[in-house]
Amino acid sequence: MSSPFRSERDGIRLRLDVNEAAVLEQLLPLLATVGERSEGDPAARRLYPAAYRDAPDDDEEYWRLVGDELAEARAADRSAFAETLAVAEEGVVLSSGEAEAWLRVLGDARLLLAARLGIEREDDHDTASGSPEWAVLSYLGYLQGTLAEVMASTLPTSHG
Amino acid sequence: MDRFAETAAPAEVDRPSVGRDRRSAHPWNVVVWNDPVNLMEYVVFVFRKLFGHSQEEATRLMLQVHHEGKAVVASGPRERAELYCYRLHHHGLWATMERP
Repeated sequence: MSSPFRSERDGIRLRLDVNEAAVLEQLLPLLATVGERSEGDPAARRLYPAAYRDAPDDDEEYWRLVGDELAEARAADRSAFAETLAVAEEGVVLSSGEAEAWLRVLGDARLLLAARLGIEREDDHDTASGSPEWAVLSYLGYLQGTLAEVMASTLPTSHG
Repeated sequence: MDRFAETAAPAEVDRPSVGRDRRSAHPWNVVVWNDPVNLMEYVVFVFRKLFGHSQEEATRLMLQVHHEGKAVVASGPRERAELYCYRLHHHGLWATMERP
């Protein structure tokens, strides 16, 4: 299996085969099952975590202010992901903004799957590793890791 | 992004801008916690992008999170800390804010 992401002069070229695309098409309906800040769902707690651990009032105020904004930013990421996924079998060049949206959507889906598999510590991967959901988690990690590597080469060499 | 880059680059010392001498001026720390899901190379990318760190500095911070369970990645006035926290959450990192 070779990485579907390749750095080119005008962006990052993405090309998927039909089976890869079919797996990724399942991510948006999956992510749509996460309600913002719904206490009963470990995936919601992980994607919208407490920002102030020991100050519930501050935390509530924080999420009242930014909760909708974060949900909208994620919706924009998913739109960019969906639009480019739809043409990925022919091949498409992702802008840096679109490529970052891909990184975040792949990451969100991984956090969701892991949370619902009960993965809270490194060891929990061993327990979960027989399940189909864990296979998807692992495949998405492969995609996100190779994309992050390609993206890192596009960042400016900075101070620090 | 530019505002982040400015805060992230202490000119006077070669260490994070969370030294004891700056606590009174910057009362909020942004902490990133270890999690068993986010990939190391992805976390390094996010630190480079949000804070303008070099590959080496971003890797050092990521390893601190990984080995010590958490790391202070920024400090500043509350509004700025909340902006960092928001952007880290948008990227799926587990971030919280606290007073030093």
